[in-house]
Amino acid sequence: MLPFDMRPDAVMQELTNYGQKLSHGMKNLMEVGEISTGVTPKTVVYREDKLTLYRFQNPNKDAITSKVPLLIVYALVNRPYMTDIQENRSTVKALMDAGQDVYLVDWGYPDRADRYLTLDDYINGYLDRCVDVICERHRVPKINILGICQGGTFSLCYSALHPDKVKNLVTMVTPVDFQTPDNMLSHWVQQVDADLVVDTLGNVPGEMLNWTFLNLKPYQLMGQKYLGLLDTLDDPEALKNFLRMEKWIFDSPDQAGEAFRQFIKDFYQQNKLLKGGLEIGEPVSLKNISMPVLNVFAEQDHLVPPDASRAMRGKLGTKDYTELSFPGGHIGIYVSGKAQKTVPPAIGKWLDERS
Amino acid sequence: MGNTNNWMDNWLDSQQKYWNAWADMAQRGMKAPEAPKSPMQEGLNQWWNAVSSMAPPVGREVFDRLMDVSKGYFSMAERFMAGNQADPQGGLEAINGWLDGMQKMWTDWSQSGANFRPDAFFPMGQMKGLTTFWDLPMDTWNRLAANVVPMPGDFTQAFHPEGAQPMRDQMNKFLSIPAVGYTREAQEQYQVLAQKQMDYLAAMQAYQAAFGKLGVETTQAFQKSLQVRAQEGKPITSLRELYDQWVEMSEQAYADFVMTVEYQTLYGRLVNTLLALKQQMARMVDQTLEAMHMPTHAEISTLQCRQQELRRDNLKLHKEIKGLQAQIEALRKAVLQPEQADEAAEEAPKAAVKKAAPAKRATPAAKAK
Repeated sequence: MLPFDMRPDAVMQELTNYGQKLSHGMKNLMEVGEISTGVTPKTVVYREDKLTLYRFQNPNKDAITSKVPLLIVYALVNRPYMTDIQENRSTVKALMDAGQDVYLVDWGYPDRADRYLTLDDYINGYLDRCVDVICERHRVPKINILGICQGGTFSLCYSALHPDKVKNLVTMVTPVDFQTPDNMLSHWVQQVDADLVVDTLGNVPGEMLNWTFLNLKPYQLMGQKYLGLLDTLDDPEALKNFLRMEKWIFDSPDQAGEAFRQFIKDFYQQNKLLKGGLEIGEPVSLKNISMPVLNVFAEQDHLVPPDASRAMRGKLGTKDYTELSFPGGHIGIYVSGKAQKTVPPAIGKWLDERS
Repeated sequence: MGNTNNWMDNWLDSQQKYWNAWADMAQRGMKAPEAPKSPMQEGLNQWWNAVSSMAPPVGREVFDRLMDVSKGYFSMAERFMAGNQADPQGGLEAINGWLDGMQKMWTDWSQSGANFRPDAFFPMGQMKGLTTFWDLPMDTWNRLAANVVPMPGDFTQAFHPEGAQPMRDQMNKFLSIPAVGYTREAQEQYQVLAQKQMDYLAAMQAYQAAFGKLGVETTQAFQKSLQVRAQEGKPITSLRELYDQWVEMSEQAYADFVMTVEYQTLYGRLVNTLLALKQQMARMVDQTLEAMHMPTHAEISTLQCRQQELRRDNLKLHKEIKGLQAQIEALRKAVLQPEQADEAAEEAPKAAVKKAAPAKRATPAAKAK
């Protein structure tokens, strides 16, 4: 048999359809209007430098069943509105529906004046002060923390350094072993001179990280994805959703130089969180994590391979350790319909059982 | 908006005519005439040039990207159709011709040690649009490099293959001249800069050569995958399917390659040489600023570092003060509670007034501490 079964007239029809979709899509693009993100109402409860601590407003106070507030700690890379990207795709909203009183740390956009911020400043400084603010507001000695991706790694470090302030810890798509064989990012940076990068650039441009992430799957992320867009161009809502995701993907804050240097060297190049020897103000030992831990990871995660998260198992000081595996990718775990129905409710239930 | 609709209608109309003509030729078994340019791509370009200025900023970049991908897609379609007209094997000859051409390009390129310039290998616009497909990893690097070094695009693209080696020879001669005289230091700085440029150029060429090799392997893997589909009785039935198959094979070959130690070394060298070049540029800019009695980057960096240290100390002191205040408060309560309890028992209405007094008595305790 021949490898092709394409009739010329069918191919021509395919191309004609392509053109039609393109032109109709252009009409929809003209009318797309503002692209909103971060949809759930929230109030500012604390500000410091570029950091903002938000509390999400639950219109129904009675719906908050948890007595312990939950703080979401997002990564420095990309923006935290991914967790609340649109009405029907909001991890935040789903957590609120699960009875949680949700706070969120927004690290903001560091500029050159923030170049000397270290991981110590971020974790023992900013994050610790946010936790204090929440503890004071609620008059509780401990809160629940949900760390996402790099924010999950920060949360692990924080919990190890301040176990007296964390009631329960949830990590989502969080790397612990930074050198699993399938970790492409880690493989790439092993011979990159992180000192040269930071000494030269100061802060590391967000665009630089963007293109690095896109290069993980260049043909899909820079080509096929856009061709796939054609199939949804005639649907204004689908186009809007696509543009919303694009906005998020390319909305990358610069990385404070010193924090970036330490993260690359200590975590990616020397894997100190797992192997030991990590110091963030003080020595960080995963064995200090004595509170209950829920480790949520995505099975098809191309940024944080599941094994990078699973490595947590057996390394913590707690006896109450649970894993939740989600059949999806790094982003799908927040925005897919299936994730919305399963992940936040499971987190809420797990927290309620321990709060 | 009315204008946009006209353009859309015109474009769709011309597109329809174009494909009708193709269909007509196909039905009559005619071979399409060789066209030096791609009519579909040209049409697409004209249409986008006309309407893009009216596109809102939101989504403009997305459509730009979609246009780039579309050009490559249409180019693939035209190449396929051009050979398909009289091909009894349903386009196999066309695809093989196309892939053979790609292989030749990758082989020639990787062997030449030159930068990737498809037009050097495929003149007359033959490869126009196709590089959108094949060049994506390099394209992302060029964007990244442009972001880091203040030059348009990747400036190494300006070095033509035929000129690369003579340029290197000339540069080496220049660099071998010892710096002497009153401007010795400045000369040395320029020599260091030139050396960094050479290092980056060499790293870039090694990186691109590796991608040339990857291109050959990807093409072969793609051809093989087509054969497998034929053997399994799962022929490709649409252009989109063909494209998706190509993406799958490219991504697989790419993923295998970038996880090798060879790639890790190439990538590390590429990043490090680019940043070393940038660092030398910054150093020289600083020297110029210093000569003009203007603040240098290094000086500002020192100030930023000291400022952060001060802020850190300040926050630490704040925390300590807060802690001490809490301790004082706790001590005060501990000292006064028995009194309060007694007074409350004696004179309940005056309790509020009595409460204020202990603050004064607590102070010496804090001082003593």
